[in-house]
Amino acid sequence: METRPLGATGQESTVATFGAIALNWLEQEGANQMVEHVLDHGVNHFDVAPTYGDAELKLGPKLRQHREDIFLGCKTQERGYDGAAHKLERSLDRLGVDTIDLYQIHGLEYESELDEITGDDGALAAIREAKAEGKVDHLGLTSHGNPDLILDAIDRIDDLETLMFPLNPVVAGKDDDEYDYEAVLERASEENIGTLGIKAFAKGSWPPTSELPEEDRPYANWYEPVDTPEEIRDRFDFAASQGLSTVVTPGDPKLVSMVLDAASRYDGMDEATQRALIEQSRHDDSPVPEQLHH
Amino acid sequence: MAEETPSQTVPETVKAAIADRPVEGRVCLEAGAGVGNTTAGLLAAGAARVYAVTDDPAHAAAVRDRCGDATDRLVVVEGDLRQTPLRPDSVDLVTAHGLCNLLDPAALAAVAAEFSRVAAAGCHLVVDDYEPLPESAAVRDLFAVENAATELATGRSALTFYPASLLRRVFAGHGWTFDRERTLLDPVPWTASHLSAHAGVVTDAIAGLPPELGDPLERRAERLVEAIGEEFAGTMYSVAMTRPDGDETR
Repeated sequence: METRPLGATGQESTVATFGAIALNWLEQEGANQMVEHVLDHGVNHFDVAPTYGDAELKLGPKLRQHREDIFLGCKTQERGYDGAAHKLERSLDRLGVDTIDLYQIHGLEYESELDEITGDDGALAAIREAKAEGKVDHLGLTSHGNPDLILDAIDRIDDLETLMFPLNPVVAGKDDDEYDYEAVLERASEENIGTLGIKAFAKGSWPPTSELPEEDRPYANWYEPVDTPEEIRDRFDFAASQGLSTVVTPGDPKLVSMVLDAASRYDGMDEATQRALIEQSRHDDSPVPEQLHH
Repeated sequence: MAEETPSQTVPETVKAAIADRPVEGRVCLEAGAGVGNTTAGLLAAGAARVYAVTDDPAHAAAVRDRCGDATDRLVVVEGDLRQTPLRPDSVDLVTAHGLCNLLDPAALAAVAAEFSRVAAAGCHLVVDDYEPLPESAAVRDLFAVENAATELATGRSALTFYPASLLRRVFAGHGWTFDRERTLLDPVPWTASHLSAHAGVVTDAIAGLPPELGDPLERRAERLVEAIGEEFAGTMYSVAMTRPDGDETR
């Protein structure tokens, strides 16, 4: 599988990163098989979080067995020093490892959070301390919030090494500032910050729960995903051709194999095909059949 | 979430088509303005003035609605593209994005002549359209029904897909020089909303036909929309041409 530099971290990440939330939906034996399956495809970058149910615990055994082959990303939703320090220890304990390669501020949403994180008593101070102690190697941030806020974070966190944010044809086709993750990607590239793409496989929001109760959804993803091999391949190729360092696999284990296959076969996507996917989404998005043309 | 306002998003196809054309400070003729996608793209790229010409009052209203905040640079013209009120030699850039497939050969000839009349020396032309669809494309059946309905109703085809090579020659015959061709979409996504819109053309066309003629066409169109769902087929191209700097061609 193709690898790319993860910004200035020195890590060469595979173009697919395994989103280990998928392990949460499997029993331990299935989780072990999934990790072997992912490694068999050559994936060397895994991403997990303490908020993904049992994913840390289920990743643990195989992570420890293959520790040298896996660049491990984890996250914290804590914004203050004490919480972040505590949750980091908890993740190390649950994963059963001494070091997390990439520790990320998880799900930045508000400017006030950025103030808190960067404050003297903020989560960043705890992560920097952990770096000095060798418990964490690199610092990252994840967000599906306002792109302007992510740009602010780049300005305010000098030692930021990676960013995780949404990128797919729906987002890429919108000019509105609130979807301008392409500006984030551009800025990150200028600053040599590694970039991880999420929601590459999102087709749209789930129908309202009045129409489709949550327990009747066929997939565990936050959003309704594309789910045929062709669509998965198109979406992977699209995301990987935007200039991201790596694309995170979707959260439902049923989809992971198809994504690994797409990632293994990835060899670029020309611009006319990228535009075709953007156009498809643009019209999907419009409830009114008003358009004859593209 | 954003409020329910008209989208300001300019399609990537439009951006790709005009990206290498001089737009800033130029007077533009956007021919067949549709819902304003290209007009919005030209205004965003800094056009000094855009004449958005359409013969469809609903489209004219849509363009005004969408681009209304640029009233000092936008003139929406409700009229016939074969005879616009524009003066000769008054336009620096002509865009026809997805227009020509709606023109039958006679209309195409008249529109090409009109573009050439209003073009200033050194004028640029961007013609974006669809290559004829491959035999295997299911949407061809829907477009055939659409053409059958409009032929019966008006004596004219609704859709004609001209190869890029043919349009180049038509405009070359009016003195335009070929500059470049690029592929905008490959494949073209014919989404459910596109297909419904085409079925809607059939419904409109058969309104004046006897039921025994029109109803089977409408039913066939509806069945095709349902059966096809969505299809990726064919390509959309962008051809750019320029007018010589002098006026020796006229």
